[in-house]
Amino acid sequence: MSILLSLAVLLFQEASDGRVAQMIKGVRSPDLSKFLVIGALLFIIGVAGVLTRRNIIVIFMSIELILNAANLNFIAFSRYLQETGSVNAYAGQVFAVFVIVVAAAEAAIGLGIVIALYRNKETIWVDEIDLLKW
Amino acid sequence: MILSGWEAFFFWFFGLAAIFAGLLTVMARNAVHCALFLISSLVSVAALFVLAHAEFIAGVQILVYVGGVMVLFLFVIMLVNVGAEEQGREEIFNRPRQVTASLVFCFLLVAGVLFAVNTGYQELQKRAAIQMATTGSDQDSNLPPTATGTSRLTAQTETVGGILYRYGSLPFEIASVLLLVAIIGSVMLARTLKQEVSADDVDPDVLQEEAREHPEVARVEVSS
Repeated sequence: MSILLSLAVLLFQEASDGRVAQMIKGVRSPDLSKFLVIGALLFIIGVAGVLTRRNIIVIFMSIELILNAANLNFIAFSRYLQETGSVNAYAGQVFAVFVIVVAAAEAAIGLGIVIALYRNKETIWVDEIDLLKW
Repeated sequence: MILSGWEAFFFWFFGLAAIFAGLLTVMARNAVHCALFLISSLVSVAALFVLAHAEFIAGVQILVYVGGVMVLFLFVIMLVNVGAEEQGREEIFNRPRQVTASLVFCFLLVAGVLFAVNTGYQELQKRAAIQMATTGSDQDSNLPPTATGTSRLTAQTETVGGILYRYGSLPFEIASVLLLVAIIGSVMLARTLKQEVSADDVDPDVLQEEAREHPEVARVEVSS
């Protein structure tokens, strides 16, 4: 629902300037901003998943989605800087490698915690895991 | 960076596929379906990486995420029982009030991010135009053509590797320590009580108390 609304906002902003032709051109030849929009939408889908789901495993999957959206932005900016001839153009790709490493470590530890929790509490619903609530 | 022709087609194809699969990841009832949709989303994002000339990262993405992390997810789904969710007896989303609050915040985030992308990008384009005018570089035309002659060979992987070891060698080593910690930590976290007792890793008082409830724990031989 929020995704549809965001698309509507985007379309409205572009069309209200009276530049529908430019919008069609933007669709026919996507540039950096389209990468950023797709990254932003993936990020927000991930945030919505983390905030709304009850299954802790699906919450971890949503976190992977968020990290991937960040990676997409890094790669897109890296490509953009390569073409403008910037000095540090490849830093984005190197950083993306580190993001993937951290995501893998986080998934391993997180799933270990899930198994330990399931063994002790017999549940994977986050609203039933309220040990730190008072 | 402006994509054109088939590149533009594939950009929209994989971009929309990534978003659609991401939505289904969040909405699917069955956790295994969630994992499969997440895999297709990750593969689509890897295709976007290829379109952005980051072939090495795309390969790493497929190998590490789809080959490693997602298999781990599927094994954990197998180990914890999610039958109730699949049969539709359990609610998959949190309580309605929390869902509404989070969706309101998500909407604010969407509006803010799209506004920032739209306004900030125009400034970026102006700066890029100035930079392009001064350097005027089109590096692609200097690269050697491939065997079919339709595209050009890139030296992306070589460059990324060079920069990774030249400027990022300390973070690289720290990342290897992080991975080691992750291996040991996940093994420690996932141990059962029996395994802890057999490694002689339990406080004697705790062991006595546990043995009262679970008699089989007391019979475990301590292996040195």
